[in-house]
Amino acid sequence: MSKLIEIKDLVTNFYTYEGVVKALNKISLDIDKGITFGLVGESGCGKSVTVRSIMRIVQSPGKIESGQIFFHEENNGSTSDSEPVDLLLQTEKYMRHLRGNKISMIFQEPNAALNPILSIGAQVSESFLFHKKKEMAGKILEHLSAEDDTTLPLIKPFLRFAYTKLAENPQSGLLKLFSRVPVLKLWETKLKQEARRRSVEIIEKLAIPNARKIFDSFPHNLSGGMKQRIVIAIALACSPVLLIADEATSNLDVTIQAQILELLNTLKNDIISSILLITHDLGVVAETCDRVGVMYAGSLCEVADVKELFHNPRHPYTKALLNSVPKRAQAKKLETIEGSVPNLVTPPTGCRFHPRCSLAMEKCKQKTPQIMDKGNGHMVACYAAA
Amino acid sequence: MLENHPKLKEIRFTLYRIFKNPTAFMGFALLLVFTFIAVFAPKIAPPKNLSNPYMIPHHGYSVTPKAPSEKHIFGTTTGQYDIFYGIVWGTRTAFRIGIFVISIALLIGVSIGTIAGYYGGIIDEIIMRLVDVVFAIPFLVLAMAIVVAFGRGLDNIMYAIAAVAWRNYVRVIRSGILTLRDQDFIQAAKIMGVSDIKIMIRHIIPNAVFPVMVIAFMECGSVVLTAAFMSFLGLGAPKGYADWGQMVAMARNYIVGPPGDPLKFWYTIIIPGTAIILFVLAWNLIGDALRDAFDPKLRRQ
Amino acid sequence: MIGVSILIFGLMMTFSPERRAAAFVTTPQMAKDIPMLIKKYGFDKPFYVQYFTWIKEVSHLNLGYSLVASRSVFDAFLYYFPITLELNLFASPCIILFGIWMGTIAGIKPNSFFDHFSRIFSIIGWSLPTFLFALVLMMIFYGYFPWFPPGVLSDKLTMFVMNSNDFIRYTHLYTIDGILNGRLDITLNALKYLALPVLTETIVICALLMRVMRSGMLEEMSKDYIITAMAKGADKKTIYLKHARRNALIPVITIAGQLIASLMEGSIAVEIIFNRQGIGWWLASSATQLDMPVLMSMCLVMAVVFVLSNLFVDLIYAYIDPRIRLS
Repeated sequence: MSKLIEIKDLVTNFYTYEGVVKALNKISLDIDKGITFGLVGESGCGKSVTVRSIMRIVQSPGKIESGQIFFHEENNGSTSDSEPVDLLLQTEKYMRHLRGNKISMIFQEPNAALNPILSIGAQVSESFLFHKKKEMAGKILEHLSAEDDTTLPLIKPFLRFAYTKLAENPQSGLLKLFSRVPVLKLWETKLKQEARRRSVEIIEKLAIPNARKIFDSFPHNLSGGMKQRIVIAIALACSPVLLIADEATSNLDVTIQAQILELLNTLKNDIISSILLITHDLGVVAETCDRVGVMYAGSLCEVADVKELFHNPRHPYTKALLNSVPKRAQAKKLETIEGSVPNLVTPPTGCRFHPRCSLAMEKCKQKTPQIMDKGNGHMVACYAAA
Repeated sequence: MLENHPKLKEIRFTLYRIFKNPTAFMGFALLLVFTFIAVFAPKIAPPKNLSNPYMIPHHGYSVTPKAPSEKHIFGTTTGQYDIFYGIVWGTRTAFRIGIFVISIALLIGVSIGTIAGYYGGIIDEIIMRLVDVVFAIPFLVLAMAIVVAFGRGLDNIMYAIAAVAWRNYVRVIRSGILTLRDQDFIQAAKIMGVSDIKIMIRHIIPNAVFPVMVIAFMECGSVVLTAAFMSFLGLGAPKGYADWGQMVAMARNYIVGPPGDPLKFWYTIIIPGTAIILFVLAWNLIGDALRDAFDPKLRRQ
Repeated sequence: MIGVSILIFGLMMTFSPERRAAAFVTTPQMAKDIPMLIKKYGFDKPFYVQYFTWIKEVSHLNLGYSLVASRSVFDAFLYYFPITLELNLFASPCIILFGIWMGTIAGIKPNSFFDHFSRIFSIIGWSLPTFLFALVLMMIFYGYFPWFPPGVLSDKLTMFVMNSNDFIRYTHLYTIDGILNGRLDITLNALKYLALPVLTETIVICALLMRVMRSGMLEEMSKDYIITAMAKGADKKTIYLKHARRNALIPVITIAGQLIASLMEGSIAVEIIFNRQGIGWWLASSATQLDMPVLMSMCLVMAVVFVLSNLFVDLIYAYIDPRIRLS
């Protein structure tokens, strides 16, 4: 399998009043094409920061300090790897082109993730208007040359001119000028209609009934599950290569949660190639993921295929985590992990888990263990897991 | 371990937030200077007429202001009133206005707001409609109307402003109390049989009072401003009384000097004006820093 | 509204019957007949009877007689109103645009140089007494540089406007009448006289707007939907202007009533200093001459303005915030 995202030694810090919060401690992680990757860990362990670093949308006072994030872009469906790009070195303009287009993201809180005062339609079609202008212009030109087109002959040449221009160069200054002039502004109508058509299409695809009506409604008209579907629709609008789901189902009812997960699974075969699923729910991971990464206090402990991880956990933290999940035939008392999550302003030296680890050695206190392949793609960052 | 007590930590964090702000520092410094002047006014500018030290001494009756000299370091305004003396004793007047008005307004506003918020129902409804009524008329216009109704004078200005200014506190404290009222510790106190008044004084007011204090600081400046303007209009102190607004009013005819030297009498207006601005600025700087420090939205960024 | 009328009436009740009778005098001649008036309007009757008599008079726009203007309060109001309207017609767009613009930028980049600048600017604007600032401006731009004299229109043009039969005063606003009559010199002259008053009001009042806008922007910028927009690939301009600013405007609308009140208060000082005979000037003069009916009726008028403006604010609210449109 070929890699899609390759993270190397990523460090992200937050500069707060209490001190520098070392949120990510040299994370290295590979995500392959075509899989669902689960990232698990307690809240505050840096899962969200990791994915936000991938998209480079870490908000102030956070800052990506060092590391590399390679993105292997597909070349017209061919599997041969093109030159990977280091996202941390790219310009903001490149990143804008990438976000929502190649990599997109859905969020934990559907109620907060939608702008309350813009209509659903406006928010969904925004994605098309950002990334697919060129494509849409081509489509509109086609329509314009079709014989059954009913556009007035007077405006037709103007529209054709505008859209040819748009197809050539989406950033055309002339068109921006047009958009500011009252009557000429109307050239955008066709573009908006096209974006609307596409939005309704994508909303329908997410098994939402009455897509047209939804298009014109506002976030407060919809239920939580519905809103989450809309958030997914926004993310899927441009058929991204990677979809990042940041606790996308945590705040929903269990039934709706199941629906959304199923939806994501079908979509994975259909539109997107890979999913990066962030969750603290191990059940969800077992059910949907191909490969899992476990994080603790800003560092990655263990990465393995899902069955391998559940049957043969090797990092003490993973073991403890799995033991703390209630089982159907729970005979013993439920185990907990001793101690509490460390303050990341002054994290423990060496392995960040060592103060709570039953197998801790002197070495663990001094040097951070590197994450290493222990065979079969089972990667562990622990001295004790030989 | 005492060092890390959450309450201490919180206080330290608040202080850090206040003093991180250089403006707060300036505000406190200015206020300190004004307090010093007000306290030591009799030493800085010894009064001639001990029975009524607030009357500015004047030498002669000439209407033309005189430029700063050794005898009158800030010069004299029209009627030969000494500007320096006026500034020094005017500080006392300004403090008197600010503190008196704010305390009366706080007392009325907080007690009415607490009653409205705590009891709710019909009492709340009546009180809040009353506040709406007072809110419907611009502050200055209503205060002016009250002064006119009760007659001129500095004391009447203070009563009038206090009679309008309380409206600001009622809403703030009421909304604070409405959120507090249903919280568990209040319910617990109620179940334990603590009397209403005791609950209000011991539990509710201390918890809801911070936003009110912030407003009180910010309002102190604007109260002095309003009073100065009314004095300027001539609704306040009699001529010659040490009051900054009144001193600006005396200088009003001298904003333009004789031909050829248009800024000749600048000191008559700039000096009392600066005093007003700095005084109000001091309160506003502190109030602004306090507001930022206590604003939960801005706090954790 | 009823509450306001009761409050004002309550204030009036503190006067002697003679002074209250003066409130109903509409011509100077009537002033001699005060004892008769007391009987006629029943000022010796119980207060609730008096209240209803008063309300009846007020609803017929009989608000009393203004000594300062030497005409009835209602006529005087119509006479002074255009001057104030003109001032605020020019000042309010300046305040709104400038305040929102500065607040937006300060909110986008907190702790930047511009943010600190705008913060200092707004605190100073807050602390600046309008009357003092106006005086200093006049000292500089009238005293030192004789560019912007006080008043409404130059003497020559005022004479012309008063005496000419050709100059029709459609709106009583000099700037607009100048254009309508094809006399651009009058418009320009009026604008020249407006410059300093508008500047004063703008600087003093826009501080409030700026602070509210700034904190609104700061709050909205930390909301999740901003990250959604970022993840969508939106450019900064779209995020700031389309997503954050429209939400941040909602709290700004809430203070619209407060802004209108401060415009009225601002006009009092500005009109006094720059000698523009409008509502504010009339109010202040009435206050110094203890012209009670004027102040009372103005309180009433302001309350009406306040209620109307709240109605208007609700309409704007519904336009901006779809959540309110339904309920």
